Amino acid sequence: MRESKRMFLHYVSGIIILITGFVHLVSNNVPGIGTAIHESALYPANLIVLLSALLYHMLNGVRVILMELIPGRCAAKAITWIVFLVGIALYIYGLQVFLNLFWPMG
Amino acid sequence: MAGKEVEVRFKVFRFNPKTDFAPRWQEYRVNVDRSTTVLDALLKIKEEQDPTLAIRYSCRQAVCGSCGMMINDKQMLACFTRVLELNSNVVKVAPLKNYRVIKDLVTDFGEVFQKERQVKPYIIRHDVEELLNPTGTYKQKEEELLGYIQFADCIECGMCSSACPVSATDPLYLGPMVLNRAYRFIADPRDLGFEQRLEAIDSEHGCWRCHFAASCSAVCPKGVDPAKAIQLLRRALVKRAVLGISSSKVSELIPMPHIKGKLELPKGWQ
Repeated sequence: MRESKRMFLHYVSGIIILITGFVHLVSNNVPGIGTAIHESALYPANLIVLLSALLYHMLNGVRVILMELIPGRCAAKAITWIVFLVGIALYIYGLQVFLNLFWPMG
Repeated sequence: MAGKEVEVRFKVFRFNPKTDFAPRWQEYRVNVDRSTTVLDALLKIKEEQDPTLAIRYSCRQAVCGSCGMMINDKQMLACFTRVLELNSNVVKVAPLKNYRVIKDLVTDFGEVFQKERQVKPYIIRHDVEELLNPTGTYKQKEEELLGYIQFADCIECGMCSSACPVSATDPLYLGPMVLNRAYRFIADPRDLGFEQRLEAIDSEHGCWRCHFAASCSAVCPKGVDPAKAIQLLRRALVKRAVLGISSSKVSELIPMPHIKGKLELPKGWQ
């Protein structure tokens, strides 16, 4: 993936964090509409989208910082792959937490 | 009328990597008047006090961009800076930051020119036959010219890359001078080389690493705005990535019957 696509997704994920974060705050703190969201399927769906956007935005930021701190073309590729794998692991863990929270087994 | 002369202390950075263990500051006293530039003063030092001082200069009129240096900790052209305008009795002169020092005030631009080659800083076209045997001229509207003319004013003095905080930390970052150069040609409607420049500008160390400190634009002696060029470059890249638009306009050829030229390619260029 070219850097322009990665950075475009970075900006888009930033906007998604603002929107989903707002929905999350409303659903937890505002009676009426908040309670309605909290009790609907929108609440876990919103959380999953927030988790995805947050992880992408955060880890891409870490990747950019690391690439500037550790110069070198090979280092840049290695950092991208390591951050990608860490992101996948964290996403799976996050999804597992949500599954246990909203759809507990047994 | 040059006016009254004033004695000014010059603290000059001295370092020869071949013989010196560490850099040192050397002081000189020079009489200057209101017309004396920093370059004039340095040449006076070289002629009258210390012939071993190394300086790079050429045109003496802010056209060639050879004499960029740190003057009182700011990137300036020595030929374009009058000593008395600095309003200081002590003038500190050092080589440009972010470049390897060859000797004293002379820095190595080899690396930055190497990076510049990656962005192919020339008009790229596919109609080789037309270039070799021109039959007309490429149409260019005034507003199309205004889209890039500011960026074409760059004299490649390298002061923008010296002031750039990202260039200071990431040696692979292309830097404002090179990215400005890339945008100058991408914005030119006669150019068709956008795709060929992507590998360099849309890479991990390309235009996306700019922090938009805009210190490059602040130090440019020609009023070029490299920070703006980088933002416009990003816009062009996002347009290409999201909408698939890689070039907004392409110049059409206006036939000019009186043009009769045949260019011969040198041997081995076919």
